[in-house]
Amino acid sequence: MKLEAHGDILRVTGLKELDVTNSTEVCASIRAALNPAQKNIEIDLAQMNYLDSSGLGTLIALHKTACSREGVVRLLHPVPAVQEVLKLTRLGRIFEISKA
Amino acid sequence: MNRPRGTSRPAVLRLTVPCDLAEVRPRSQEVGAFLAAQGCDENELMSCSLALVEAVNNAIRYAPPEAQGQPVIIEALTTDQTIEFRVTDHTAGFDWPQEFNLPPQDSESGRGLYLIHTLSHEANYLRGRGQNVLHFLRRRSSAPLDVPSNTPEEVRLQLAENDRVITQMVEELSSCYESLASIFRHSRTSPEPGRLQTFAQSLLEELTQIVGADWFLLRLASEDHAQLDVFAASDVSLHLAPLPLMSSQHICAELEAALTRQEVWFDTRTPGSTIDPIARARPATQGVVHPFYAGEILLGTLTVGRSVSQSSVLDPQTATVFTAGQASVIRTLTDFLAIQVVNARQHEEHIHAHALARELEIANEIQRSLVPKNLPHVPGLDLAAHSENARLVGGDFYDAIRTGDSSVLLVVADVMGKGVPAAMFAAILRTSLRAAPEVLQHPAELLRRANNLLFDELSTVDMFITAHLALVDPRTRSLTLATAGHCPLLVSTDRAPGFAALASEGLPLGIKRDTTFPEQTLELGESYRLLLYTDGLSEALDENGARYGQENLECWFAATVGNCRTADEVRSALIQEMQRHCGQRSLNDDLTFLTVTNNPET
Repeated sequence: MKLEAHGDILRVTGLKELDVTNSTEVCASIRAALNPAQKNIEIDLAQMNYLDSSGLGTLIALHKTACSREGVVRLLHPVPAVQEVLKLTRLGRIFEISKA
Repeated sequence: MNRPRGTSRPAVLRLTVPCDLAEVRPRSQEVGAFLAAQGCDENELMSCSLALVEAVNNAIRYAPPEAQGQPVIIEALTTDQTIEFRVTDHTAGFDWPQEFNLPPQDSESGRGLYLIHTLSHEANYLRGRGQNVLHFLRRRSSAPLDVPSNTPEEVRLQLAENDRVITQMVEELSSCYESLASIFRHSRTSPEPGRLQTFAQSLLEELTQIVGADWFLLRLASEDHAQLDVFAASDVSLHLAPLPLMSSQHICAELEAALTRQEVWFDTRTPGSTIDPIARARPATQGVVHPFYAGEILLGTLTVGRSVSQSSVLDPQTATVFTAGQASVIRTLTDFLAIQVVNARQHEEHIHAHALARELEIANEIQRSLVPKNLPHVPGLDLAAHSENARLVGGDFYDAIRTGDSSVLLVVADVMGKGVPAAMFAAILRTSLRAAPEVLQHPAELLRRANNLLFDELSTVDMFITAHLALVDPRTRSLTLATAGHCPLLVSTDRAPGFAALASEGLPLGIKRDTTFPEQTLELGESYRLLLYTDGLSEALDENGARYGQENLECWFAATVGNCRTADEVRSALIQEMQRHCGQRSLNDDLTFLTVTNNPET
């Protein structure tokens, strides 16, 4: 997992899975990396082929963090399997999802 | 080679997952590879893997420390039509929800079960002691793809594994089928009236066989819910003493189940359990107590147990005396039995209601026999009577007894109470009055005697009687009246304008021993009208539930009776008035009255 700052955005890339084994750790790392100026979190899901309900919990926790800073969580390039999970749990609406 | 759909052999995979979350992904990938080899498409793979991971994650996350040495078991079964999973966990289990709803959007947890439910076409959860089975199934969307052939050795191993898992599944399923079959068998022969005990005995004997138990003990709550009584047991040594539900004594397994409304698993070898009645009857046994209810009301408990050797390992935390499937069968059959208990009790109530109806019929007959068939003919006097019963038989009655050449004793009485006792008291009162011809012309003395005769019996059952005794002599044109707590008699005469409401101040019969009754005499004049009645008249309700009232009755009497020539006309007018008041509403109390007029034709 790589964390990069782009102005008021913290970009997360290279995350291959987000599940019960790593979700707590990933959440803590991203929160720790946020500097005071960053209110938006972009997570590139292009390589993520595995997301379970614990992973969803992490995305929601990060969404709350961003909201408290008046920012958003943007999910980039989700693979079909991840899109399907977001759709099933009707969470597509609370994140900005960019498929392109 | 393409396999024709529906003809291929099922493929089975059985995996154990150590109690470690990090092991879940690799195992789910193994399952994924197995599913892919069976020709499952991308969508099926994704759905099945996610549901499976959620199930196994839960099984590991909620395993109690003492169960963490035991692996989670995954069994996958694919056919052309379905993909089926069984995940056996060793958690305390949970209640399978009736409905699956998503948590609020900002909730960080609570989506696992929802995903399992949504990603499968069928899902259920069997709970047992120390082991539970989550079963879910997905119907396949398309025919399986071409599957690469395996080597003969792989095929042989696969077939052996398939057979082993299928045998296991069949064992569990067959116990479910047996329980269903047992229910059907017993449904056809639902307990005959009064034979619930035999029925329960036979059903439970069958249950002990199905689940491989050694004994059972069925207790039902007593009618007052004070205790649990043994209703059926596998042998006489289990016909134990009643178990008080309200006492503060040691809580035993059965009591705990009844009070906590939860299944209780026990091992009678546990230290301290020797005061448990079951432990005394069965010193080395394990089992489960299942409480059962009708709505909120405790009906009873069923305890099913299996003997264990005194020396075998005692580990009550993980002991699995019955598998999840067997525990489920015990629950199903107990709940079925609960329905039969409720049915049988309703049947008893029906019989009871029937007995009650018969009692009312008898009471009705007694009451009918009390009412004189014909009113006596008294020169110079015209008499009419009306008596109508409300739904339940009451204790109203009237009588008219000739007391000599010219006079008549009129009686209207109301026994407070219903049914046979009220009718019996009315009969005794009637007889006691008729049996004292020497005092028939002295209403007060008659009441005194009747009170002395009936006092003990009436006060024993907290009943009493109100009565009017009116001696009318058309020759002397006099009325002599004694009252025992009864509503006033109405009289109008040509001697005074308007009317009078008369009641002497006597207590009802059965209230005080040795009481006396005042007597009053009134001159009636040439023309007079009398109305003796019970309070069913003034208490009659209209369609809105409003009482007719004493005042209305008196107004009606004052306005109407002067225009009636005969007692019968007064009676008809009053019946009409009551019909007008009550409208569509049926009588709420008995309606009894006597009307008297002078007879101008004699």
